[in-house]
Amino acid sequence: MAKPLRDLHDVELAALSAAGGRREFGELVRRHSPAVRGLLRRMGAQAALADDVAQDAFLLAFEKCAEFRGEGTFGAWIKRIAARLYLKRRSKDARYVAEIENDEVAPSVDSAGRMDLDEAMKGLTEPERLCVSLCHGAGLSHPEIAAAINLPLGTVKSHVKRGLDKLRARLQPEPVAHGSASHVG
Amino acid sequence: MSVDEFDPAIERLFARAPSFPDSAQFEAALAAKLNTSSRFRTMALSVAGLVGGVIAVREVLNVDFNFASSAVSASAGSQAAPQGLSMAGVDAAQAAQSLLDRLGLTGLDMSAMGGMQMFWATAGVLVALLAAGVVKLSQEI
Repeated sequence: MAKPLRDLHDVELAALSAAGGRREFGELVRRHSPAVRGLLRRMGAQAALADDVAQDAFLLAFEKCAEFRGEGTFGAWIKRIAARLYLKRRSKDARYVAEIENDEVAPSVDSAGRMDLDEAMKGLTEPERLCVSLCHGAGLSHPEIAAAINLPLGTVKSHVKRGLDKLRARLQPEPVAHGSASHVG
Repeated sequence: MSVDEFDPAIERLFARAPSFPDSAQFEAALAAKLNTSSRFRTMALSVAGLVGGVIAVREVLNVDFNFASSAVSASAGSQAAPQGLSMAGVDAAQAAQSLLDRLGLTGLDMSAMGGMQMFWATAGVLVALLAAGVVKLSQEI
């Protein structure tokens, strides 16, 4: 008796998809589309554009499923495809990273002074956000990012470091004011 | 939280996929796109196959293979079978040369090769082309 789709490993599903299995590919989409859509938003894409690029990435993945041999995870593979598609789309719009205005958006925090990753990412400049998400979200190496977004390697490293520093600062909860509760009563 | 602790932590945060309330709509839209592109591809392949087939048939009809005369001469004469094959090879070379002439490649002299060599080379190329076509088609479909 065939195993249910949800019990199959990504590599098995990819192999079945490469043979034309739509249901198996649908299962891969169900498993990985939230991560891909999230990554594209973290890279700075608006929701509609992010979903459009994510769909194109999955269509491309379906065509190239036979090329996925399971060396890495399917999630990492599809995220790299999506990231590269998004960069291509951006370069078509002739909006290169170097020309992007470095406006920082003030992120919102919860009552405990913490914020989630998506909120914290909003506090980064666009080149920082792009470099950090390509590095930590899509798994690209610094030289790969430099080649993909046409920036010098040193600049990419600086963007990643500055971006991580900002995230580090923003993701830590605000220090609680000392003695505010003990003096009550 | 130290710097050393932070990077695995941020890796974990990036690895955690957000949840989207419209996931079902996203999947349905993707499935529709997949069906559309599949239909388009099937149609394009059929049309390309049809056009290619028509062109191939037309070219085959236009090339003067002249195999019949070589067969007659091979069987009627007192030549041995290898000589008949050799004649067929020469005719294949002539046919290929006429095809090259039609393609504007008159400078390519096929007669320089031996008859048998030419026969087997042509047969090999045809078999390789056929195999490549079958493999490509099976990958596409």
